[in-house]
Amino acid sequence: MVLSGCDSNEALSLSKKSIIYCSEGPPESFNPQTVSSGTTIDATSHQLYNRLIEFSPVDNAIMPAIAKSWHVTRDGKMITFYLRKDIQFHQTSYFMPTRALNADDVLFSFNRMLDASHKYHPISGGKYPFFQNAQLASLIDNIEKINDHTIRFRLSHSDSSFLANIGGDSAVILSKEYADELVELNAMQEIDMLPIGTGPFKFKQYSSGAFIRYEPHADYWRGKSELKQLVFDITPRDTARLTKLLAGECDVIAYPIAHEKIKQHPNLILESVISFNVGYFGFNTRKPPFNNPLVRKALSYAINKQAILEAVYTGQAEIANGIIPNSSWAYDATITSPDYSIANAQKLLTQAGYGNGFSMDLWAMPVQRSYNPDAITMAKLIQADLQKIGVEVNIVSGYEWSTFLRKVSEGEHQSVLLGWSADNPDPDNFFSSLLSCSSASTGSNRTFWCNKRFDQLIQKALKTNNINKRKAYYSKALRLINEEVPLIPIAHSKRYQARDNSVKGTVLRAIGGVDFNGVTKN
Amino acid sequence: MALILTGLQKTNMLIFTLRRFSLFFFTLLLLTMLSFSLSFLFPGEQLINLTGQISASPEQLAVLADEYQQQSGLLSQYVSYLKHLFQGDMGYSMTSHLPISSEVLNRLPATVELACVALLVAMFVGIPVGFCAAIYHRKAPDNLILTIAMIGYSIPVFWLGILAILVFSIQLGWFPSSGQISLLFEIQHVTGLQLIDILLSDSPYKWQAFQDATRHLILPVIVVALAPATIFMRLARSAMLEVLDTHYIKAAKAKGLTFSQIIYRHAMRNAIIKVIRDIGLQFANLITIAMVTEVIFSWPGIGSWLIESIYQRDYTAIQGGLIVLSSFIFIVHIIIDLVYAALNPLAREPRHGT
Amino acid sequence: MARDKIYLEEEFPTPLVQLWHNFKQPPVVMIGFCCFLFLIALAVLANIITPYSSVENHLDHLLLPPAWSDDGDVSFLLGTDNLGRDMLSRLIHGTSLTFGLSIIVVIASLAVGVVIGSLSALTTGIKSSFLNHFLDVILSIPSLLLAIIIVAILGPGLENTLWAIIMVLIPQFVHVTRNAVKEEFAKDYVLASRLDGASSVRILRYSIFPNIIEKLISQATLAQSAAILDIAALGFLGLGAPIPMPEWGAMLANGIELFYIAPWTVYLPGLAILFSVIATNLVGEGMRHALKVRKEN
Repeated sequence: MVLSGCDSNEALSLSKKSIIYCSEGPPESFNPQTVSSGTTIDATSHQLYNRLIEFSPVDNAIMPAIAKSWHVTRDGKMITFYLRKDIQFHQTSYFMPTRALNADDVLFSFNRMLDASHKYHPISGGKYPFFQNAQLASLIDNIEKINDHTIRFRLSHSDSSFLANIGGDSAVILSKEYADELVELNAMQEIDMLPIGTGPFKFKQYSSGAFIRYEPHADYWRGKSELKQLVFDITPRDTARLTKLLAGECDVIAYPIAHEKIKQHPNLILESVISFNVGYFGFNTRKPPFNNPLVRKALSYAINKQAILEAVYTGQAEIANGIIPNSSWAYDATITSPDYSIANAQKLLTQAGYGNGFSMDLWAMPVQRSYNPDAITMAKLIQADLQKIGVEVNIVSGYEWSTFLRKVSEGEHQSVLLGWSADNPDPDNFFSSLLSCSSASTGSNRTFWCNKRFDQLIQKALKTNNINKRKAYYSKALRLINEEVPLIPIAHSKRYQARDNSVKGTVLRAIGGVDFNGVTKN
Repeated sequence: MALILTGLQKTNMLIFTLRRFSLFFFTLLLLTMLSFSLSFLFPGEQLINLTGQISASPEQLAVLADEYQQQSGLLSQYVSYLKHLFQGDMGYSMTSHLPISSEVLNRLPATVELACVALLVAMFVGIPVGFCAAIYHRKAPDNLILTIAMIGYSIPVFWLGILAILVFSIQLGWFPSSGQISLLFEIQHVTGLQLIDILLSDSPYKWQAFQDATRHLILPVIVVALAPATIFMRLARSAMLEVLDTHYIKAAKAKGLTFSQIIYRHAMRNAIIKVIRDIGLQFANLITIAMVTEVIFSWPGIGSWLIESIYQRDYTAIQGGLIVLSSFIFIVHIIIDLVYAALNPLAREPRHGT
Repeated sequence: MARDKIYLEEEFPTPLVQLWHNFKQPPVVMIGFCCFLFLIALAVLANIITPYSSVENHLDHLLLPPAWSDDGDVSFLLGTDNLGRDMLSRLIHGTSLTFGLSIIVVIASLAVGVVIGSLSALTTGIKSSFLNHFLDVILSIPSLLLAIIIVAILGPGLENTLWAIIMVLIPQFVHVTRNAVKEEFAKDYVLASRLDGASSVRILRYSIFPNIIEKLISQATLAQSAAILDIAALGFLGLGAPIPMPEWGAMLANGIELFYIAPWTVYLPGLAILFSVIATNLVGEGMRHALKVRKEN
């Protein structure tokens, strides 16, 4: 009896000092360098890793992280980072670090992505979507180790979004020592599945598709987390997540539904951040009939965005006039999306030679994301809209999220409902990642639209530091998108999260998603 | 009553057992044939459906084709499939890329645990209640029990599961709504049966983990057990009525035994044996209900895994899951048949198939 | 002018009429029977009596609660779902899908099952033994599991679900028909007509079928309640009726996503399934009761 009483106190502390986060999907990898999906970033980037620089949770300004300071030369072509000396890697059952983080680790982490001949480059598919989209390989001429704690990037030209990119969720620093050990063990692919980083939590266990277990990193340079465990309970169904929150099985849930219900509940808190995202209806411009811009434009007249906003986003979003949300400095209020008009749509379709309509596949994403909280319902509304102009829509859904993403990035779809959450506040993050030619080959441009003029415009915008000039280039790019309609932007939404009021601290960030550093529970 | 097996009875029992085993063999043959033919029926390439190696290179495929004797006739293909199967090689899952056999070993015990507990609950609740109904035949308790039984097996199980979660997890907060155990407890996977694994583990939170796992078990078990329990009620009721109508009970009454003596000493035993015969069939029914319940309660069992595989069009997993689940049902069926035969000598009379 | 009966004839009601006499005795059974007829009427008349189409979106009336609630609207008696579709209309259309199709499924499998069952009753020896074993195997696999397997082969969809359930139900009818026919064949009246020189087929047609039809109907009601539950369960699991169809199980699955904001989208389809299964089971129960009473007399 005495024993069990003692046990019960300990167990109490176990559940009191641990957080279960109900996430919406399984991570594709434990290395955010290799994927760009928000689910993977949420699960890994800020829990397991650090970046050279990071964004302040308060105002999204750049702040020091692994680099305690940095220096940019006047021509903007040379950037020197000075690293902290007290950063320790995770100690786990599969790796024992013998040294603290130094310039070799930074060099390794970037060279893996930039240098195609690096032996770790082809591991896990050899795709680094975010870095390839931002074209960092051609931007960065070389990276030089000055001494153990100083590292210098030489750029081929000045790029105004470089620092923002280096602070992005995908620019994490891995351990070179661990990588070398894996080479000796001939188990190189494990680097992305059994991760070692410097972040506040270390990897303990992953049960595929079911849960991830993290433990606090005892030597974390910002101070050890007070939590005993951090568990990501992977719960793809929206209702199931809310049920678990209401039944006390989760402390924090991603993308809650039924906001009213949560607000009414005395112990639950509903939070939101204005996130940099866009939900869109994209066309595979390599497949007929969507290789014809007239058809794409016709459909853009036929979609009733206002109705979608009310039914799908329940009013918690703004209509998207372009791919850039109005909280970004690159937003141009003079650009508007086409008005809802069946007559115009019909006219354009006839012009394109599809007066009698056609039938098409529409792939609806199977998970809830802030940019699209219910793709199936959206697909049904679009189905009803397009029926009016004689287009018959066949909804494709039911694939698991990672399978869905793979099939879509391979171009199996004809059209797709998807979206994009920015991983840094620079507007380039929307343009390059969503629609550039280079992202068409890495798969994050799911429309496969490749327009030389568009690419030139966004390149020019990157080469200048003058914000007005950049804005002018981006406006032109936005108009080009409205002209060619590779995708129809639907809405920019807020990202929501619900939690039990015993969880203290900021979990949800506008940039970078979920971050449990400094979160406590009482 | 001591059960003395005479020589004749022994041979009868032996023959009975052999007949059951031949039936089992026949069933396995049918099932493996079905599963083998599935690889042709499913869309896509047959060899890939069979092995689940979707990302294999042409060279690897050539090796596999050789291994599965793709160049020879159908019969030798089937034989080599059987060979792989008996070595525990059911190919790889097309989605998780893990061996099907390890996935099955991970998932099956959870289903076994849920189904067995539910079966016990259904029997221990259903049979006494059914006897009670028979004793009060055509009186108020009988009618009440029959009404409950009717609702019990008419209610769609997925709806019942949702209502149970709403009432007991959310409004009352008594039981958790999903999973086998709180994720905070780390329990080593030994047997896969959660309750036993907890007892085997050396976690400092053993007792708490055990309590937690029990709490997780209660709702799904009730949902799974409800329909079979009502069927046991009806079976037990009619078995008891039948027994009460027999001559030996009448004789016992004539002897002047009290009613409770008749029920406890004579009627109950014979009625229970009649019910046991149907447990096998009910178990199959129960597994189906468990499959749907697993989906609702996110129970990590083989049923929810199989349904997920159908969504993912993971054909290799569907084949493997099928074989394992059906043979499991059939093995239980046969075990119960044997138990029944051991208890009831009359059942061992050779029954021919004609 | 009515003709007077000259001879006092003793009337022998047909087995079905006798059954009906015994069937209509308990009031509960009659209530169930009326509900059953009501559901059939709904299924047949769905297109005429529903106020709206099952897929019509009323975007001004999203997630309207049923009319008796404070926020309800009388023009949407049972409320609307997340796309503004009228729940009442969807439920009634759903009757012709879930309930109506279950009847068709049962009739189809009954027809096939009776033919195979009668033929197999006439066979003997190794063929018969093989068939018996085969039936044993099939019958030991639960119907929903078998249906799920068949759907896995054919691919999801309502039509495939129906084929799957038909295939699942056939062995049950084969089994019942076979046993019933064998039982009847052993009786003296069959021997009598056999001695008259009647062929097996003729005996089946004129002597046996009229006497086993009630057993078949009783099995049919059992099969139907299973069919309703199976169609709904497959719809619920997303393996049956596709998304916009108002099949009750699929509606319920869709409702789960709205459970916390619009609980009626879960309660109503569930109640509809429960109601139709209970009605079917009451009819079946009455049938079995009547059979028993007739046997006892």
